[in-house]
Amino acid sequence: MTINARVKKLPIRADWWSKTLCGALLGFTLAFALTGLFAWLGPGGISAPHKVQFVMWLIAPLWMLAFTACYFFRSGLQAFIWLLLANGLAYTGLFSVNGVLR
Amino acid sequence: MKIRSDLLRIHQSLHTWVGITTGALLFIGFFAGALTMFKQPLERWISAPAHMLPSVAPASRDKLVSELLLQHTAARHEFTLHLLPRENVTAPVVWSEGESHELQLSGERWQATLNQQGELQAEKITPDMFGELIDMLHRTAGIPGTLGGEYIGVYIMGIAGIMYFLALVSGLVLLLPTLVKDFLALRPGKNRKRFWLDAHNVIGIASLPYHIVISLTVIVFAFHDFFYDGLAEVVYREQPMFTPPAPKVQEPYQVQTLMPVSELIARVQQAAPQFVVDELLFMDLETVRPRVRVAINSAQYILQGPQSGYVIIHPYTGELLDTSMLPTQADAWSLTTTSFFALHFGTYGGNMMRWVYFFLGLGGAFLFYSGNLLWIESRRKKQKQGQAAVVQARNTRWMAAATIGICLGSIIGTLASLLAGKWLFTAADNINNAYLSVYYAAFLLAIGWAFYRGAAVASVHLLWLCAAASIAVPATSLLSVLLPSLRLWAHSSPAALGVDLTALAAALMFVYGARLTARRVNHGPRDSVWSARRLAHE
Repeated sequence: MTINARVKKLPIRADWWSKTLCGALLGFTLAFALTGLFAWLGPGGISAPHKVQFVMWLIAPLWMLAFTACYFFRSGLQAFIWLLLANGLAYTGLFSVNGVLR
Repeated sequence: MKIRSDLLRIHQSLHTWVGITTGALLFIGFFAGALTMFKQPLERWISAPAHMLPSVAPASRDKLVSELLLQHTAARHEFTLHLLPRENVTAPVVWSEGESHELQLSGERWQATLNQQGELQAEKITPDMFGELIDMLHRTAGIPGTLGGEYIGVYIMGIAGIMYFLALVSGLVLLLPTLVKDFLALRPGKNRKRFWLDAHNVIGIASLPYHIVISLTVIVFAFHDFFYDGLAEVVYREQPMFTPPAPKVQEPYQVQTLMPVSELIARVQQAAPQFVVDELLFMDLETVRPRVRVAINSAQYILQGPQSGYVIIHPYTGELLDTSMLPTQADAWSLTTTSFFALHFGTYGGNMMRWVYFFLGLGGAFLFYSGNLLWIESRRKKQKQGQAAVVQARNTRWMAAATIGICLGSIIGTLASLLAGKWLFTAADNINNAYLSVYYAAFLLAIGWAFYRGAAVASVHLLWLCAAASIAVPATSLLSVLLPSLRLWAHSSPAALGVDLTALAAALMFVYGARLTARRVNHGPRDSVWSARRLAHE
């Protein structure tokens, strides 16, 4: 049995506190960064009239999706690692877009 | 669909815990929310004719407004002109002294009309806030207190909204493996718990899109200030977010040069020919940035607000300043955000959609009520393994009592304060304070009774009380007609009669519920929290 197959057989850990914390915090920051990317790169760019309100509305659904996703990870640690990675990517994108398009 | 059992177990716990912790709050939010769908009819039902000033003919509106602004300078800051006479519109123009956007129960309000000689007749009143209080109950679940200019209850409901979204997803995961088999299966019969679970599932799945919309909008309504601040900080930075156009004038406007209201109304009507113009809110008339927010209605279009859509117009130039909330003229971004609001408020199809939302709201309330009851029953089942009859643990009994007390207590409290609006009208100094005292007294008494007598016995009593309070609504109207000496009043508009009829129907439902519950309490399994009969060794 390969290591990979053995890992798959391990039961998913509940890890209530770490997964919830991860979803509440990192899920939120991720949603913010993705929303920011949409604000800059989405239709009309950053200064499209009346777009701000729509952009704000995006935060909640993206946050909630990331939040619920956390409970599907094998462990709280895994959730943290993946969300940190996603956050890193999203913020790198946001800050470079911010610098280039400004 | 097959789902790993460990994943199911995790979502089972998640669903249970978020449900148990937020169920009672969300019940109040949904029950009161269902009522806000008919906030206006409720206000019309309760509105006292004693406060009424006669409306003015459309031709006299220009004179009314110019007289008002001349004689009452406070109105130059803000006043409302009502165009459509209704029982809850007590006068054609209404304004307040001093400014506040929070709910003020004893806030002084002025209203005026033109008398038969064409003179301005103004008076100070205490406005009836019943509709606003129902709305507050909906938004805060009745949790008092403010924090930094916002109601604490709103934040708590925002957090409940987050947990409620988690409950929706975990509930869906739980249901997926048996979705096809169980969907629309409602199995009555011996197994009561099965029946309740089926009902919980079918309502949950059938109204899932509605619930997703509500949970997400609640989060946005509670936290949008923080979201905007964060966006300004992280995303927009130097980019402007909301830039009102620079004022075109240096000197504040003078009310003497105001455009006649008839002309303003005509311009709005021209821009929105399919809409009915309902009311005009004049703001900051003697500044460089005066504006009028015009509320418009149509059953054919989606509307931004809980009651109406809006257009902003300049009161001196008649220029339309903002049509982004007018569905026929808005761009794609505004139209989309307007629809988010409309999806929460149910303002996209007139009264038909209001009824749909009313029942979706009550369905939601049932979802949380049944969810809590299911948890309580499953505790019994869990404990039963290895024991003949379960001695109910204290926390289960308390949870049952709290569920019954809070849920039924909020219904009784709301109905009691609706009745107080008529019965205590002459006795109360300020009817708005009476609404609050009556609501909280009934609510807390119901909870106290549920803990004192236990969930089983109390649930029957409280359901009968719900039925009695409901039947008292049309009975009050009937009495006011039969016995004029009581100095009550009843309105005969379809909206007000609709309140009477709906309360009558609700009373029948409560009687049915009370009888069913009584049967279970007296004849159901003794070891359930829903049994009044004690176990031998207790």
